[in-house]
Amino acid sequence: MIEPASPETLDKAVRDKPDNHDRLDELRRLLIGPEQQELVRIQERLDRQEDLLPEDISRVLPEAVTIRAHKDKKVTEALLPTVEEAIGISVRKNPQTLVDALFPVIGPAIRRAISEALTGMVQTMNQTLEHSLSPQGLKWRLEAWRTGRTFAEVVMLHTLLYRVEQVFLIHRETGLLLQHVLAGEAVVQDADMVSGMLTAIQDFVHDSFSAEKGDALETLQVGGLTVWIEQGPRAILAGVIRGNAPQELRNLFHETLEQIHREFAQELESFEGDAEAFAPSRKYLEACLQFQYDQSRQASTEKKRITPMRVVAAILLLALLVWGFFSIRDRWRWGNYLARLQNEPGIVVTNAERHWWSYSIAGLRDPLAADPSALLREARLDPEDVESRWEPYHSLTPQFVVTRANALLNPPASVTFRAEPNVLYASGSAPHRWIADTRRLVRVIPGIERFNEDALVDTNLSEALAVKERAERRVILFVLDTTELAQGQSDDLEKLGADLRELLRLAPYAEKSVRVEVVGHTDQLGTEETNLLLSRERAEQVRSLLAAKLGNAVELTATGVGASAPLREERTEEDRPFNRSVTLKITLTDAP
Amino acid sequence: MIQKKICMLGAFAVGKTSLVKQFVESVYSDKYHTTVGVKVDKKSVIAGGQEVTLLLWDIQGEDGVQKLRPSYLRGAAGYLLVVDGTRRETLDTAYAIQQSAQQNMGLVPFVVVINKSDLVEQWALDDKAIGELTESGWSVYRTSAKTGQHVEDAFLTLAEKIMEV
Repeated sequence: MIEPASPETLDKAVRDKPDNHDRLDELRRLLIGPEQQELVRIQERLDRQEDLLPEDISRVLPEAVTIRAHKDKKVTEALLPTVEEAIGISVRKNPQTLVDALFPVIGPAIRRAISEALTGMVQTMNQTLEHSLSPQGLKWRLEAWRTGRTFAEVVMLHTLLYRVEQVFLIHRETGLLLQHVLAGEAVVQDADMVSGMLTAIQDFVHDSFSAEKGDALETLQVGGLTVWIEQGPRAILAGVIRGNAPQELRNLFHETLEQIHREFAQELESFEGDAEAFAPSRKYLEACLQFQYDQSRQASTEKKRITPMRVVAAILLLALLVWGFFSIRDRWRWGNYLARLQNEPGIVVTNAERHWWSYSIAGLRDPLAADPSALLREARLDPEDVESRWEPYHSLTPQFVVTRANALLNPPASVTFRAEPNVLYASGSAPHRWIADTRRLVRVIPGIERFNEDALVDTNLSEALAVKERAERRVILFVLDTTELAQGQSDDLEKLGADLRELLRLAPYAEKSVRVEVVGHTDQLGTEETNLLLSRERAEQVRSLLAAKLGNAVELTATGVGASAPLREERTEEDRPFNRSVTLKITLTDAP
Repeated sequence: MIQKKICMLGAFAVGKTSLVKQFVESVYSDKYHTTVGVKVDKKSVIAGGQEVTLLLWDIQGEDGVQKLRPSYLRGAAGYLLVVDGTRRETLDTAYAIQQSAQQNMGLVPFVVVINKSDLVEQWALDDKAIGELTESGWSVYRTSAKTGQHVEDAFLTLAEKIMEV
């Protein structure tokens, strides 16, 4: 195998043998001519490096930028001012170009932003409204005030089944925080310190309880918060969860951590405290910020929500209750009213009906009975609601009979009526005239056929009878065995005359006629025959004296009864003069 | 932004927690609290020309009986070795801890802090002992968590060292 000669070796040979110079030159040209030309060309290019051809750069520029961009951010930094300025100039020159370019992007982006903002707002408002007025709502409001959280936040915490509030991606070796994401309103401490402490706690637990290598603290629980820690070879994923999360979430954590290990293997390995390289892991962590609301709890609060339907139902129920109350009350009042009417004299209810909003009643009513409308008011029923139809009739109830008798007969105050079926009883005293009229009128009163006046005194008649008795008690005495008036008997005769005159005056008021029989008496001395004669003469004597005083206004007769009807039993001599006398026997007969 | 984990190491009651509190919040409390396990705090500083967030792992003190937990040291970019200037024995503990830490973490930057410099009359460390420390190439600071003296310097030096690596 022949080794190719280097140019230096050839030059040396030429120098050593100058006569061979041309030939060697020739040989060199033949052997390495093409390479030589190429070398010259490269030499020239290297010399001209200052002014590279634009074609050369244009050929390699895209690759060059790509290679450099992979290495560091110098290209971006270098281009940044130019790009910024270019955009500025473009906007100034013709904004339309940029607008056209951005339009397809901006539209959806704005729509999405607005819709998200609205959704968030509506959700917060809904929850706030839902819980504003319930007792639970008040309790939560108090809690919000106590803890310094917003009410919406407290509501959310309570209706949440679970929510991943924060996710930490921690470098396992150093405990330094690589990335941290948190859900909207979660309350956070310093994530760097939490990250460190979480690692420290893990180490502490692991060391303290001499756990097997590979075993690690997986769960921390504090009140309603749970911290789930997922271990990877180089990184730890810790999720702070409020509520009870399902096992699937754990799987998600696990898969996320695996994904991060795959994607950031290099960065995890060479981590020197700069977490910048892990910014792209944010999207994976954000996917872990899951949450689920307690549907049943929300549903239960939904039940309590005030909807128009519920309002209507409540109003209807209330109305029904009110109607029921008034209905029962009115029914009770109506019942009372009917009972009252049944017991009321002079009222007979023949028909009573209750309708939806009114009543109707029909029956008989004595004009003298109580007024049914007044009774309605007493029963606290509205007369407007009651249609009443009362037929007038005459009740035979004694009290009405008496009332009617009083009205019709106009009795003097001294007369009292009492009614029994068919009979009107009168008691007290009344003038003869009124009594006579009553006897005639009483049959006109409905329900009365007879007039009972047993307890009624005829005042005219009783006056006449009193005078009659007074006159009959008077005795006119005579001298023994003569028709001569005893001493002082003329005065008595005068008085007798006056009595008779009064009787004659009173008798017509009682519709009586007066008949006077003058009766002559003797003592038992002497014969019966003489005595009879003597007595007759004595009677005649008085009759003629009285006739002289009274004229023929009265019918006067005279009879002698001798000693057959003595005024006094003659036991002693002192009794005899009484039997030598004349008395009157007066008869009152109904005047024709 | 760069984050770095820094551990506070040292014997019991040397003032690790107080130093962190002074550095982070610029406050000091006379009350003594034993740290159980770890308390993590953070503070952002400028080191190596950029902003660095230091995550300070305040680890419970070690008295020799309790072993330093390697798991707490894992991933630390550096540590502060705290000595109590009024207690000689805490320096020995610090040596032991440094050995243990180096075994666990390898060569990571650290700064020695001799704390409680305000308690001058109780001072127990002579200049010789401190000289030995500096001679072995360690950065040493006399600090007071109470007055705040050199506290920030110590932390910043550590941060710079870490950023140099």
